[in-house]
Amino acid sequence: MKTQRTDWGRRQPPLAGSSFELYAWFFMRVSGLLLVLLAVGHMFIMHVFNDTLNLDYEFVAARWDTPYWRAFDWLLLALSLLHGTNGLRVVLHDNISDTTVRKLSLSALYVTSLGFFVLGTYVIVAFVSKV
Amino acid sequence: MPNQKLVSSGGIYKGKTSMWLYIFHRVTGVALFGYLLLHIISTALILLGPEVYEGAEAIYKNFYFRVAEIGLFGAVLAHAINGLRIITVDLWKKGSDYQKQLNLISLVIFIGVFVPSSYRMVVSYFDLCLEKSSPGTTVTDCIIRPIPDWK
Ligand code: HEM
Ligand code: HEM
Repeated sequence: MKTQRTDWGRRQPPLAGSSFELYAWFFMRVSGLLLVLLAVGHMFIMHVFNDTLNLDYEFVAARWDTPYWRAFDWLLLALSLLHGTNGLRVVLHDNISDTTVRKLSLSALYVTSLGFFVLGTYVIVAFVSKV
Repeated sequence: MPNQKLVSSGGIYKGKTSMWLYIFHRVTGVALFGYLLLHIISTALILLGPEVYEGAEAIYKNFYFRVAEIGLFGAVLAHAINGLRIITVDLWKKGSDYQKQLNLISLVIFIGVFVPSSYRMVVSYFDLCLEKSSPGTTVTDCIIRPIPDWK
């Protein structure tokens, strides 16, 4: 894959080569749109509508009492991990020229992301309030 | 090329601004990913019960972390608004003809959201700190105390 650096301030859509790269490019835009609601919304909830000084176990227990906030958090988890992993994949491609090192770091990235996805999902599903 | 239809193909804006925005977008994106991993770990502590979770959260409650949180808030907001700018340039037919204007609009939106929100984050920090801390606590105490003295 070759990314084209131009002074347009963004990656150009890959116009040749595999359709995977085009879908990945497109996915960054679609997931970005959804993350505006999810990630920016999450930040506003934590910082503007509440204050993190009031954040405690009960606060989270109350939020996760409804399946809707669990679903919201899970979508946030899945999309930000996928979006970030694909973003980093491109960054690694751009900056590591040695094939072996690049393959190793890409594998490390995928394993890490998968691990954190499993951990985050487990936390959301398994949480039962103790208070 | 068939894929060309997907994107706007108007004028090319060759300002330096966009190059810097490209780097900026990359730096904020990578930083956010790093934070996300830490954040998933600290959220996972909630499975270990209230003592562990709140013990860990207490560290985040001093003023230094408030400053860091404002930085994080700014990074998410800036990456998001710049991302919307990118999406507009790419998927709106005339997007690439208006890049200078879009850069400017993005900056205005960023300032318009970031300034009031971070102002609120600072003010409410001191309100809550003074309210919750033991009597006699001053604003200076709130700023320098590494761990707050309330539970
Ligand atoms: C909040 C809403 C967000 C929007 C609108 C957004 C939008 C975008 C877009 C459109 C791109 C592609 C840039 C290009 O092709 O030049 C991108 C790249 C990227 N994003 Fe996001 N994003 C958001 C949130 C996040 C979050 C939460 C993370 C971290 C987990 C993240 C990490 C990245 C990374 C690492 C890249 C790759 C940067 C590069 O290739 O230079 N983004 N984002
Ligand atoms: C300092 C700012 C932030 C605070 C105080 C904060 C707070 C929290 C809290 C209290 C939870 C527990 C669940 C809940 O109550 O909904 C949570 C979960 C979560 N947050 Fe944040 N958050 C912040 C920033 C972010 C950012 C920037 C992202 C995205 C990149 C993010 C992504 C997530 C995800 C994915 C979960 C679910 C974690 C899991 O599955 O274990 N948060 N956050």
